[in-house]
Amino acid sequence: MIAWRSLSRRKTKNLSAVLAVTLGVTLLVGIQITTDTLGNAFLTSLLQSEGEVDLRVTNSTRGGYLGTADQESIEELVPDAVGVMPELSTQIPALVSSQFDPKMEAAGVPVDYPDAFGKFYNWKTGEQMDIKILLEANKSILLSSKQAEKLDLNQDTTLPLSLDTEFTNLTIAVTINATSGLPIITPVQELLTVELQIVGFFDSKRPGIGSQYSGAIFRLEHLQEWISLQDPMRETDIVSAFLVAYKTDHFALEIDEDYLRTKVELLEETIPEEVNPQTSKTQKIYQVTSTRLDFFGFAAFFITIMGTILTSLGFLIMLTGVLLITNVQLMSVEDREFQTGVLRAVGSSRGGVFQSMIIENLFQGIIGGVLGLFGGLAFGQAVALYLVALFGTGELSVQPVVSQEAVILSVIIGVVLSIVTGILPALRASRVNVVEALRGIKVKFKEKSSRNLAAFGVLIIIVGLVLLLYNGVFEETHQVFWSSEGWDSLEEWRMLMMGFGFFIGGLGLVLSRFMDRVKAFNITAITLWAFPSILFVVALGNWVTDITGFSTEILILGIIEIVIGSIMFVALNLPIIMRGLRNVLIKIRGVKGVGQISPALISSHITRSTLTFAIFAIILTLNVLVATLIPTNLGAVTQIEEDSKGVDFAVFLSKPEAIIPGTSFSDELYKIDDRIADVIGFKTFQPNLDFAKFIALEDPLSSEFDSSTDLLPIGTGEFKPGQIRGNASDYSNPNWRYAFYLDGFPDGVRESLVSDPSDDDLLDLSKKAWDQFFDPKYNMAVYNVSSALLAVFTGEIELSDLELGSAGPGVTLAVDPLEGVEPLRDVSGNLVENPIVFTDSFLLPVGLQIWIPMNTSSLGFPVYQAFTIGGSLDSQRAGGFPLGAGLGFGGGEPDFSAILGTLYLPEHWAVKTNFLGEANGQTLTSRGKDQYDSFLIKTNLPIDDPQLEGIAQAIEEFTNTNDEGYRLLTTDNFFLASSVLIYSRIQSTLEMMDRITSFLQIYVTFGLAIGAVGMGVISVRNVSERKREIGMMRAIGFPRSQVILSVLLELVVLGIIGLLIGVINGLLVSMGFANMQNTALVIPWEELGLYLSFIVLIALGSGSIPALAASRIPPAEALRYVG
Amino acid sequence: MKKTKNKKDQAPQKPILTISKLHKRYNEGKPNEVHALQGVELTVRKGDMMAIMGSSGCGKTTLLNMIGHLDRRSSGEIIIDGVDTSTLSDGQMTAFRRDNIGFIFQLFNLFPFLTAVEDVETPLLLRGINSGLAREQAKMMLRELGMGDRLYHLPTELSGGQQQRVAVARALINQPAIILGDEPTGDLDSTTSSDIMDLFRRINKTNQQTLVLVTHNRWIAEKCDYIVHMTDGKISRIEDNPLAKEEKKR
Repeated sequence: MIAWRSLSRRKTKNLSAVLAVTLGVTLLVGIQITTDTLGNAFLTSLLQSEGEVDLRVTNSTRGGYLGTADQESIEELVPDAVGVMPELSTQIPALVSSQFDPKMEAAGVPVDYPDAFGKFYNWKTGEQMDIKILLEANKSILLSSKQAEKLDLNQDTTLPLSLDTEFTNLTIAVTINATSGLPIITPVQELLTVELQIVGFFDSKRPGIGSQYSGAIFRLEHLQEWISLQDPMRETDIVSAFLVAYKTDHFALEIDEDYLRTKVELLEETIPEEVNPQTSKTQKIYQVTSTRLDFFGFAAFFITIMGTILTSLGFLIMLTGVLLITNVQLMSVEDREFQTGVLRAVGSSRGGVFQSMIIENLFQGIIGGVLGLFGGLAFGQAVALYLVALFGTGELSVQPVVSQEAVILSVIIGVVLSIVTGILPALRASRVNVVEALRGIKVKFKEKSSRNLAAFGVLIIIVGLVLLLYNGVFEETHQVFWSSEGWDSLEEWRMLMMGFGFFIGGLGLVLSRFMDRVKAFNITAITLWAFPSILFVVALGNWVTDITGFSTEILILGIIEIVIGSIMFVALNLPIIMRGLRNVLIKIRGVKGVGQISPALISSHITRSTLTFAIFAIILTLNVLVATLIPTNLGAVTQIEEDSKGVDFAVFLSKPEAIIPGTSFSDELYKIDDRIADVIGFKTFQPNLDFAKFIALEDPLSSEFDSSTDLLPIGTGEFKPGQIRGNASDYSNPNWRYAFYLDGFPDGVRESLVSDPSDDDLLDLSKKAWDQFFDPKYNMAVYNVSSALLAVFTGEIELSDLELGSAGPGVTLAVDPLEGVEPLRDVSGNLVENPIVFTDSFLLPVGLQIWIPMNTSSLGFPVYQAFTIGGSLDSQRAGGFPLGAGLGFGGGEPDFSAILGTLYLPEHWAVKTNFLGEANGQTLTSRGKDQYDSFLIKTNLPIDDPQLEGIAQAIEEFTNTNDEGYRLLTTDNFFLASSVLIYSRIQSTLEMMDRITSFLQIYVTFGLAIGAVGMGVISVRNVSERKREIGMMRAIGFPRSQVILSVLLELVVLGIIGLLIGVINGLLVSMGFANMQNTALVIPWEELGLYLSFIVLIALGSGSIPALAASRIPPAEALRYVG
Repeated sequence: MKKTKNKKDQAPQKPILTISKLHKRYNEGKPNEVHALQGVELTVRKGDMMAIMGSSGCGKTTLLNMIGHLDRRSSGEIIIDGVDTSTLSDGQMTAFRRDNIGFIFQLFNLFPFLTAVEDVETPLLLRGINSGLAREQAKMMLRELGMGDRLYHLPTELSGGQQQRVAVARALINQPAIILGDEPTGDLDSTTSSDIMDLFRRINKTNQQTLVLVTHNRWIAEKCDYIVHMTDGKISRIEDNPLAKEEKKR
């Protein structure tokens, strides 16, 4: 009954408690909805890309085709399937009037595909399309709405419409040798321009078979005819894959992941084997891939990462919510200590007092939970809208998802939150000393702790010791600080922070039994704060150079300790700080009286004051951290500008330049603008046909080789000495043409690696490495290295099992990635040594042995050459950038092999392959000696000069205008040049970072809102419960203005304490990030100024109204107030 | 508002406080309106020590609050030391109160978060006096009232009598012309009450400061020069106490 009356009568106080719970629940529900929404966004995009396809069955050699004859045997293998369908897919250039897409997806589908795969629907009318009639002619195609938009066509475009494309036509010319009389067979390759007719647009966003295709659709037999032109030896009956569906209508009801996994595994087991004539070993005849299943894994992985980041962030923000609620509950207890004393005096038991408070909390929790649900929905909706803006494509359907769990969760969380945060205050209330409560005596803090508390401290010490001993004693493989020199690994730091965190926490409790609590806990606070501070400021990047294991766990741990330590330290010393403040204020005319009151008020309510500034301390730590990310990274990004060494922009052609007698694309570029000083042409190579697409990660001739896991699609490129060195003969010559940096060196170079190399050191090392690269006699040993990322791509481990930061090439130079790694030896004990290739792929670690297909044997199988990955191009500097295919340069959308990166061969190896360089090949992919497709361009202008844009545009116009410029010169309208300004790349990187940061900003801003509300609540309650003091102030002569000032000053001081702690801590953590990136910490003064203004405004805003109201109450009335 | 330097030379007959037609209504215009003061007329001379007595709810505390301007009057006039307080703005009234009126309450009303010396020095700080000087004066005052060994104690660390001494020190620190006490001994035992009353008499005698005390206690009232009796918001009778006057002259 007392609880109920208390609820109904103390409206303001209960409202503030409910508000606090509401905010906490809003945040948690918001995070839940965001994560669910992200998951939904992924699934929607999966539905759009995969349609009804559950898995694909392909040729086990990956590059090879299947035939329609395989259909029967495949259908037998998947008896449960509701649909099996052959499909042929490729990429072709597409030219519709002046709109050009060099890599349009093209798919051939049978007109009688099973119903399980759905229908094609007309983009405009939404009606079902009959492809049997529409695709009657072999030049008729349907275009997806997605592709149509890309080519600037719309629903009302008049059809049919011409689309020009090219197919390679290979013919064999037979001549008779005049002297020997023997026939000479010469393959002749020509590009056949074909005019196709677009006969319809299908809606690629609508459920049905159309949703899985994003380009052009041919009738299967028609595309087979076109593709077979490039190989007259091959039959026309070619199929890329057989699509299998286990259920229909995936859009309405997603297939169960486990069910699909079981089906895939079962199918893989039942696929028959046959002997490979090349390797004489048995292998499965089919390969099974399930993008849907991979996607589930990827989505789970991504959502887990996002969820972890958001939850970590949310946890810290939540902490502020908990602080707010606890604060409110504690205030309630303090408020009614007198009443509790009366209750106890008239016979209420401790249990009764406890129970009545908990019941009160329960009601507050339920109301707060329900309100929080609505808040969370609004928050989730806002985040979902922001996600749409963030991804910008509009293709991902980002609808806020509100699961039933979220609804139940919100109420449960509300109740749990309010009860948990209410237990301590309720206990405190139930244990009040009746006499002291009635006399208004507060418990003093300077006392020594009880025996129980000391015993609890011993327990915590033991936990700390166990954690410390876990590493190295229980878990012997872990590096531990007592057995290895220096605190140079993150593992040691994790252990130091966790173990010592508990240890010194417990020690503080034990010591407080024997000495002044303040002194004892000060020791704990300083140590807690110091460990992560040393990690962030000194250790990261200096002692700890291998940061590959840097995880959110260490970050969160560090932030929590640094925040708790600092808050505890300030709280313990608050009386001293406030005394200092008082001594300053009472010397200032006009605020002497306020100086006497406000600091004393703050230090007289240490718990409440601490909880108030703690909210801001935590939230501003995160805010400052997020705010420093961009300017600090800007420092790292602008480093790229310095490293570009004069290269202002890059131009990429959609296909290798044409061979024109007397000129070249480079020569033509010089003519476009005389400010162009140097054009460096490169060959990059992104094959999408047959074996040339794959490198082998295991010797293809060995019995270990498994084509299903040991082949990796990856691009290739060529480096010539002239491109890199120019006229310089060796590394000692300073006249290098282009300063390609490496961050992993061949073993012959790495010996001179210094622990903290300067840019010049790195450039010197890189130049030395290039000399090795261009030395045909140089071979490098192979090491027993592997990449965890590669293992994911080869299917050895699940994506979700991948540890963050365990990527292949080292991200830092100070530690030799091959240190302590054994080189491989053959059966005779000799070192295995190969020529080297360089890579910008993030998958391939230095020292790894790989096999690259160089030519085709007489049987049509690839002939492999072994290489060692000798160097990694530095993706952060010139080298990996701007050539790095992984960065998605070049025209069109990067394909899979482009994303995985590129291997670069030295010229003397490149010319030995049929698949690259001129060799003698007449394949689609062979090139002339100086036939380039990527060009780095230096000008006389500075890198950020706006005129560069004009030069780049002039090059694009020269190349991309039909029947003019380069297209006229080559009589080929299928060239497309795209340019990328290095400066704009820096800007776009920043923009992307800005977007991601602003996403995080939503959450930290929400934290600020919690802080603001917290301050408002505290202000209202401070004023309402201090009416009596205000009356006293007025009675002894405080003018109203000073009464208001004293209320405001208290809030401003608490806010600024929080701000200072937050700024210092935030900068300390940011310093860790800056150290990791080896860049200087940039302090965002503007943001810090904003935070200061925000805090002051919030304090003034939330304090002024209650203070003004209170100051207007006549002193006599205020003095009657008894709380 | 200037204070007289030599209080002993002042003629005791000069009125320090004149109240005429003073009305106070609570919840004015509402059904639960209470007419607490109904045209009070009162003159208090400088150096007088006066007690106000009456049954609960008769308007004693309301009258005291009106004199101290802790509450707004409904109508009427209050002239303190020749100043018609109805002409003062809120800010001027606050300054006037600070400099001319000292308060002593039944529940002491000390700031719970300030030590004795801090509490006492606060009115001086409000007047802009140098903090060092204010501290010294506060210490002197507390020592004078026998609180020299409790300077740095918080109210919760002091007994009721000690707290009331601190409150007295705070009321006296600005040397106000009038000291108002609302049941100043109401919360104290008889010995402590007696001590506090002796203190009041001493102050009244030596400093010629006017004291107006509200009390229920006849024994306390008899220590004053006059006893004003109140009934239903009106002054029913003013009782002269020659015994107390005689004692003061001794």
